[in-house]
Amino acid sequence: MKRRLALLIALAMIVGAVAACGSSGGAEQSSTTARTAAETKTAEAETKSGSGDRQEITFWHYMSEDKEGKFVNQAVEEFNNSQDEVYVTAQYLPREELMKQYTIGVVSGELPDCGMVDNPDHNSYASMGVFEDITDLYDAWDEANFMEGSINSCYYEGNLYGLPWGNNCLGLFYNKAMLDEAGIEVPTTWSELEAACEALTTDSCKGLAISAINNEEGTFQYMPWLLSSGGSVMNLTSDGSKESMTYLSGLIEKGYISKECVNWTQADAEKQFASGQAAMMINGPWQFSGLAEDAPDLEFGVAKVPKTDDGEYASVLGGENVAICTGANIEASWKFLTWMTSKEKSQEICKSIGRFSPRSDIDIQEMFSDDPLNSVFAEIMPDAQSRGPSPDWPEISAAIYTAQQEVFTGQKDVDTAMADAQAKIDEINAE
Amino acid sequence: MQLNNRARKEKFIGYCFIIPAVIYMLIFIGYPIIYNWIISFQDVTAKTLNSPVRDIIGLDNYRAIFADATFRKALINTFIYTVGCLVIQFSLGFLFAMFFAKKFKLSKPIRGFIVISWMLPVTVTALIFKFMFAEGNGIINAILLNLGLINEPIGWLLQGSTAMFVLIIANSWVGIPFNMLLLTTGLNNIPGDIYEAASIDGATGIQKFFKITIPLLKPTIMSVLILGFVLTFKVFDLVYVMTGGGPVDATEVLSTYSYKLSFQLFRFGEGAAVANVLFVCLFLVALVYLKTISKDEVI
Amino acid sequence: MKKMHLSQKQKNILLSILAILIACVFLFPLYWIVVNSFKLDSEIFASVPTLWPKGITLKAYQDQLGSLAVTLKNSIIIALGSMVLSLCLSVPAAYGLARFKVRGMKLFVLIFLITQMLPASLVLTPLFLIFSNLGILNTYLAPILSTATISIPFIVLMLRPGFLSMPKDLEDTARIDGCNTISAFLRVAIPIARPTVITAACFSFVYAWNDLAYSMTFNTKESMRPMTSAIYTFMNQYGTKWNSIMAYGVLLILPCCIIFVTMQKHIVEGMTSGSVKG
Repeated sequence: MKRRLALLIALAMIVGAVAACGSSGGAEQSSTTARTAAETKTAEAETKSGSGDRQEITFWHYMSEDKEGKFVNQAVEEFNNSQDEVYVTAQYLPREELMKQYTIGVVSGELPDCGMVDNPDHNSYASMGVFEDITDLYDAWDEANFMEGSINSCYYEGNLYGLPWGNNCLGLFYNKAMLDEAGIEVPTTWSELEAACEALTTDSCKGLAISAINNEEGTFQYMPWLLSSGGSVMNLTSDGSKESMTYLSGLIEKGYISKECVNWTQADAEKQFASGQAAMMINGPWQFSGLAEDAPDLEFGVAKVPKTDDGEYASVLGGENVAICTGANIEASWKFLTWMTSKEKSQEICKSIGRFSPRSDIDIQEMFSDDPLNSVFAEIMPDAQSRGPSPDWPEISAAIYTAQQEVFTGQKDVDTAMADAQAKIDEINAE
Repeated sequence: MQLNNRARKEKFIGYCFIIPAVIYMLIFIGYPIIYNWIISFQDVTAKTLNSPVRDIIGLDNYRAIFADATFRKALINTFIYTVGCLVIQFSLGFLFAMFFAKKFKLSKPIRGFIVISWMLPVTVTALIFKFMFAEGNGIINAILLNLGLINEPIGWLLQGSTAMFVLIIANSWVGIPFNMLLLTTGLNNIPGDIYEAASIDGATGIQKFFKITIPLLKPTIMSVLILGFVLTFKVFDLVYVMTGGGPVDATEVLSTYSYKLSFQLFRFGEGAAVANVLFVCLFLVALVYLKTISKDEVI
Repeated sequence: MKKMHLSQKQKNILLSILAILIACVFLFPLYWIVVNSFKLDSEIFASVPTLWPKGITLKAYQDQLGSLAVTLKNSIIIALGSMVLSLCLSVPAAYGLARFKVRGMKLFVLIFLITQMLPASLVLTPLFLIFSNLGILNTYLAPILSTATISIPFIVLMLRPGFLSMPKDLEDTARIDGCNTISAFLRVAIPIARPTVITAACFSFVYAWNDLAYSMTFNTKESMRPMTSAIYTFMNQYGTKWNSIMAYGVLLILPCCIIFVTMQKHIVEGMTSGSVKG
């Protein structure tokens, strides 16, 4: 009995000691980057020898190490090596976790110096006070040339709260072999798409895979259809808006799109396409690496999202923005952000992470002229419309993806669902 | 005189045993509870989160949520889910506890194996069941189709009713060994002699069960039920990871809705109000539990 | 009507078979996890699921090894720390509530019940504020303290009926022999209630080991993350890598399984050692 007690006390002491070590160790490790242990040692050696007067800032992002994260780290390393005044430590957090940290950070004051944010969410977090107003810095910057849609997402109530970092959009992926076998041309209009689906859908393969999940991804995927038929987020009960919803739910009813799309993320849709269970999918250029891994032998092509028979092509703008958080070292952070989004670096960085540069002085079509897949997206980009911007975008988006889910699961018909969604949006706007 | 001192010293020692844990919980959980109550009475949204002074709007947040159809659905869902889980978990857990208490060779190892399901992190459990019940290539549909029990694949997570069913099954899968363990420990505490004495007196198995096992197990049973209710009612990870509250809001429960209101729609005041409704429901159940245990002070 | 008299041996065999059947049905999801952890990506997404992998690959496990050293260490520290803290606070509390006639017993039980009522996800912000003010963010203390808040009330409420059902005789005997209350507690009550205490220890260890929300929210540094955080690597905007998630699940349970299997012996001891005779 005594031995047991002694053991327990000893254990408690050991754990206590380790925990205490952990806390001081944590403080020492404040300049550790998100790299492997070996590289960490080198980084620490660098810091100790070179930091001296260097200002240290932190940059939180959500690009995971095994995908684009390593290029982000490379860019950060390049910045650190290129000058002596600022040292950036990049930290990866899963996206939802990072957003949660922003929210908690507003109340607790524990925010990083720079942070990444998805462009439709930027406005909400700016309204919460997560980001610093950098309007003056921006106006004084002579290299400030960004595409309107991209920079607009950073404005809140007339002031600027960040810079666009990289953009992407949605297009139609198609399985070349399957289309050739069925003897179909790549569809460009809604009627052609429906016909193509009919020919391509078999017992084991659906014509088209999309994501209609109950979060932002669902809304993101719905936007090209909504915009092409002349609909708008502010008027969901218009004929154009309803037409798009009716069209898509029709495809599901006819069995061309799997009913499970209401549970699929865009990544799940990619898995369907990669495994040959869908002949086509709506997705974006960030899936290229995933497809290369999942289905290296799959020959696929990319096209614009089909437009209504008498309408225009439309797509939706996605991507990430970067911003300076409140209470940060503004000078050092601005140095870092302007370096990353500068004309010289933006092109390079964006290409490595599979995004398109939001700068208006970079010709993305020329950039990808010899890349058949990316060039299609480069073509789509100028017409891609951004979501919002609005600080209430999360709520508006919720109304939209809820309506989509209600229609696709057969809970409500298009008219009711759209009317209910519109009512919610009106309420939000009235506040 | 000495007796009085002794009694007081006893009481003091008794407090010393209990108080540290109480203070610990009051600090680390008491503060969040109060924090939530305060916020639920204020107008806290994305715009006002940062302001030092927030409007106190009394019961407006509560009025807003009760007028919200999704909230009402979440409230009902949470009860259906909890009661469903409790019934299955407790009855099967009890059955297993009784079964594995019998002395046969494999009882202990197999009981040990069954407990593994409880040791899995809930996120993994949620994902594995999501994977198994997928409409297209889920193993459950494959088995049912092969056995001829269904003609076409069921969209388990695509319809509200079946989605809730899958959630209950998944949670019960985790809860059964948990209930079984607790009830086993309780069963172990019943001295074997009592059963022997009863046998000598000619009691049958059923009589032994109802007249000995159940009464002696009562404190454990009540504990298991109340703990099960509280822990099931506040489910978050399982629902959030498996269905996200969907399809649409068919499986939305109070904790997921509160989380969404706060962290996705930035309506913090309403999120806190929903959390408090959850709290109040559990509080009322706790009061009922307290009433029952006051009757069996076995000292 | 002849009554079937089964010999003890036959009974044993029948029960064992039944037990195996129950285990097979019940543990099918576990089997599914292990089997899928060895499958190739393409097989996992095939339209017809296979009960046994056609091609076996260890890639899913290899993917986990990357940061395993650091995360394993973190998980162990957090889980052990939380377990010790919980036991030190909750076992005495349970004993006190069972054995002493203190005023406010009901209030204390109510407090332990109430403090379990908020889901972890909803106490994140206020706890974050407390830890931020204490300056213990990004240390081991934050997850240890927060995960302990889950186990403590649970263990108190679980152990209390255990102590209640224990007859007081042995402790009284010890007291007459000259032990004071604390010694009676440590030397008599705990050993008798050992199976229950060990079960409590296992519970608190497993809860802390499986914690994700608290560890992730309070410790943003990657070097402080526990094993559970690896799930984000396999579940992100690039999709859900099922085989990696299955492998992750297998690796996560292994330590808990080992502990549990070794502890089972003690629980068995409690069952067969009998109790107060006469």
